[in-house]
Amino acid sequence: MVPIQIILISAVVFLAFYMYLRLRSSLLDAILIFLFCIAAVFFIIFPDTTTRIAQWMGVKRGINLVFYFITLFFFFLILKLYSRLRRLEKKFTELIREQSLKQLDN
Amino acid sequence: MIVPAYNESYIIRETVTKLLDEDFSVVVVDDGSLDNTGNELKGLPVFYIRHLINLGQGAALQTGIEYALRHRPGYLVTFDADGQHDVKDIRRMVELLEKEKAAIVFGSRFLPGSQTNVPVARKWVLKIARMINYLASGILLSDANNGLRVMTREAAMRLKITENRSSHNAQVQRMVSENKLRYCECAVNVSYSEYSRKKGLKNVNSIRILYDLILFKIFR
Repeated sequence: MVPIQIILISAVVFLAFYMYLRLRSSLLDAILIFLFCIAAVFFIIFPDTTTRIAQWMGVKRGINLVFYFITLFFFFLILKLYSRLRRLEKKFTELIREQSLKQLDN
Repeated sequence: MIVPAYNESYIIRETVTKLLDEDFSVVVVDDGSLDNTGNELKGLPVFYIRHLINLGQGAALQTGIEYALRHRPGYLVTFDADGQHDVKDIRRMVELLEKEKAAIVFGSRFLPGSQTNVPVARKWVLKIARMINYLASGILLSDANNGLRVMTREAAMRLKITENRSSHNAQVQRMVSENKLRYCECAVNVSYSEYSRKKGLKNVNSIRILYDLILFKIFR
């Protein structure tokens, strides 16, 4: 085991633990976090497996494949966050509007 | 008469007084101004609504429209606070609306008969904006970003502006095309004063508006 592996594994385990505590989530979320954590640790310990998967998919190196997936994942995440932001803004607007109209009635 | 205003203390009284002189009932929506736009209106017979915080022009219009509808007006007019519009245009627009039996009349600074001094760069931005608004709404106007509009109560009741910022223009046009309402355009005067140029939308803002429009298309 090389130093980077130790750093990455402890970071993943810490983050998973932290997320679990913060979200106080349902069983399903906990299982998902756990599986994700296991997968991450597995790929950190055996990095060559990503290359094998990559080549099976037609990508040269494992790291490239990971990069592609991360890009997609982040794009998805931004969209998700944005739609949540818009919902929030909508509620917020209704609140301000209601308040301003009510004030006029008095 | 709905006047959305954000930090317009310099000119709001003048704008509103002109409207009152024409015997219009005026609803001013103060969109969380940080200056004393509210105080400037003291003593004037207007309906004054204040948003606690700044939401954007689209949101201010929607608030004003919802309030105005309670009074069951025949027509509703939206009118920018910064003094760029000409009060005399309103009667002409109402006449046109009645003559054409239209649900909404859009003011346009690019029709023959309009007196305006649009800066050149602004003109080009508006021309591009017009095409983009066409793609977003399905209605091609000669001036898609004019704050002066006259609409009937029925049209106003169908209008639910959810785009808080300036992308609301396209949303108004979308409402018109979705409901297959009759609409027309009327040449109006728009004067760009030193003040309104400083206060109004800058050309760079159009990028933000475009961004909002695309997101509106995605998340509607």
